[in-house]
Parts: sequence; structure tokens; C-alpha cells
Amino acid sequence: MIDAAVAAVLAMLPYLGHQALFGAIAAAGFGVLFNFGGRALIWCAVAGALALAVRTFGQQCGGSLEAASFLAAAVTSCAAILSRRWLGVACHAIALAGCIPMVPGAFFGQALLGFMWVAGASTDHTVPAIVGSVQAFVRVISTVGAIGAGLTIPAYLLRSRQF
Amino acid sequence: MNTPSNPPEIDPVPVRHRMLERIAHVALEVGRILSQNGASVRVAHEGARMIAEGLGVEVLGTRSGYASFEITVGTGRNTITRMIQIGPHGVNHRLDFAVRDLALRASTGGMTPEQIESELARLQRETPRHPPWLVALATGAACAAFGRLLGADWPSFVPMLVAAGLGQGVRHLLIQRGINVFVIAAIIGCIAATIGGLGARLCGSGTIELAMMASILLLVPGVPSTNAQTDIMDGYPTMGSARAVWVIMIMVFAVTGLWIAESLLRIHA
Repeated sequence: MIDAAVAAVLAMLPYLGHQALFGAIAAAGFGVLFNFGGRALIWCAVAGALALAVRTFGQQCGGSLEAASFLAAAVTSCAAILSRRWLGVACHAIALAGCIPMVPGAFFGQALLGFMWVAGASTDHTVPAIVGSVQAFVRVISTVGAIGAGLTIPAYLLRSRQF
Repeated sequence: MNTPSNPPEIDPVPVRHRMLERIAHVALEVGRILSQNGASVRVAHEGARMIAEGLGVEVLGTRSGYASFEITVGTGRNTITRMIQIGPHGVNHRLDFAVRDLALRASTGGMTPEQIESELARLQRETPRHPPWLVALATGAACAAFGRLLGADWPSFVPMLVAAGLGQGVRHLLIQRGINVFVIAAIIGCIAATIGGLGARLCGSGTIELAMMASILLLVPGVPSTNAQTDIMDGYPTMGSARAVWVIMIMVFAVTGLWIAESLLRIHA
């Protein structure tokens, strides 16, 4: 049974690595947009890789997007707070930048496009589109909520709320 | 007959009020800069409080709106309330943390309001920013990476990178011209999605719609959306709600641009 679990983890490694790599690129790219300095950008990339790796692992283990996003944000936030010695006071900002690649902007776009289509549709078959759009919208709210909760709960619990 | 002239009497109350006014102003400036550069309301209030207390006065209250920041400071029986306008909200990590550092230094005392004001001006002038070409390239790379995370195929990678990079470049120019942020979101949504979609089609991608969606992800306000939640959790639901509405509005305009691009390219979701 342990062999099977190890084999399953090894099988998902390439995909995990792919997601972590592009999570790192996305986090560092947005870090540049947010004007993070050179050293902090490296930490943003590390945080992005960690967040995406944990989220992908959570989803591969059968977790929902929302649950996996919460877990990933919480792990990233905890790791950043525990690394405060090296990251300095910017640890919370770095954890946030690492979680930016998990913000479900594409779902938001999908939901709004669906609503626009329904508003302009002349057929009676709009129910599936409405349901799809509402589902996407609910996923956006719950995933953003999960990321925000995952980031802030460790900060409250570990009393890392300094200025 | 000459009468001895009395020295002019100085009323201490206006003097104290003038002093309080200067302190309130510099505390408001710190709160304004923090608010405009991505800090949560709690941090902006804390920064203003540190400045005021470092200058030896008590903060009796602070209040933040989306476009204004107010503070009441006092010493003894003298109090004063002042308000400042908050400009466009953005994210500038280095300026944000440089101002927090200044607030920490000022909170220990030993600085005058004039010194803090000149230090704030210096920080706003001299805090380094990445060059626009690098920001455009990095944003393009981030959106292309987002596309890969969403499942876009390899042929669409370079088109997404180019589309989002150009979108960021144009956004930079439009912001400099003072155009409304929502209008910018619609324009950039249309331009980036059209270039991304056309490029992906020319490169033989099988995920053209995903490429178009990923090309506009530079417009998704990730920091404000998490800040909205932080503000509500910290006890500032008004500001949190305002941020959430702002995020929704930006997305509506960005997706309007995307919808126009899909119509132009005759792609039907």
C-alpha cells in the first residue's frame, strides 16, 4: 500500500513541478508589477511555487479547488511567517504575492461572459448558461474567500500582525 | 505723554491648534500614501497613529473611506479634526514599506513634522521603480504562466506573453494620460484578448479562448480583492465592501473588452 502511495506521488511529480514552475513565474511577474525589490522577487517566486505545489497536490488528492486553495494559502502564510527572520516585515506581502496566481480571474471572466451571453440570448435555452455562470461566480467568491482566509488566519493565530 | 507698551499677548490655544494642524497633516499624508500603495486600512491607520504619537499627541480617532482619510488628534483639552483626499489606489510594495519604516522611526520620537514631510517627499521622489519595459515583459510572462496553469497549450504561450506585455505597455501609457481606470480596463481587455486570440490562432493553438482569457489576467485586481477581505476581518466593512465593488467593476469592464474581442474574432463561448 505504501509502495502504491509512493508510486502515485512519483507519477504526479512532473505535473506538480510544472504547476510550481509556472506558479513561480506568475508570482514573480506580478511581483515586478507590484514593484517588489530584487531579493523580495526571488521570495515571491518561491512563495508562488510553494502555493501552486500545495494546491495541485491537494487537488490531485481529491480536494476541491476551494479546499486546496485554502490549504495552499495557509501553508504559504505559515511558511512566510516562520521565515520572518529572512523575509523581514514584508513576509505577509510575499505570501500574498505567492497566492496571486491562485486568484480565479479566469472563472470570474467565464461567469461574466456567461451572464452577458444570457442577457443577449434570444433562445429559451438559457438555463444551462445561467447555471454555469452562477456556478463559476460562486467558485470565484469561495476561492477568493478561501485564499483570503488561508492568508489571514495563520497571521492571527501566530500573532504576526505587526505593522 | 508716552505710555509703556505692553508686549503682545500670545494666545496659547491658536498656537497649539497650529501645531496640532501640522501634526494632523503629516499623519494624514502617511495614511494617504499607505492607502494609495496597497496597504490595508489597519496598516494605514497604524502608520498615521505612529506618526502622531511620535510627535507627542494623542490620536482620538481615525476614519477611512475609499477616497478620503480623516484623523482627530489632541493634546490636553485641544483637539483638531482634519481630512485628506486619497487618490487612485494601486500597489507599490517598495514605497509602501519605505513609508512604514519611516513611521516606525518617527514613532520613537526625535523627528519634527517638517522632517517627516521632507522625508515623505523624498521617498515618493526617489523610491526606485522597475522600468516600464521590464514591467511589461514580466506581466506578459506572468499572464502566459497563468495560461499554462489554466491549461493553455504551448503554441499559445508566446502569443499570451506578447498580448499581455503589450497590454501592460498600453495600460502604462493610458494611466499616464489620466484616463479613467475602468475605461482602461475595457480598452486593455479588448486589445490584449484580440492580440492573444489572433496570435494563438496563427500559431495553431487549440486553446484560443483560454489564451484570450489569460491575456487579460493582468487586469484582475488580486491585491485589492484580498485586501477587501482583510479590511472586513479587521473591522472595516465599509472599506472592504468598497474595494469588493471596485474589483467587480474592473472585472465587468475587462470582460466587456474580452467580449468585444471575441465578437471581432468570431469566437463564441
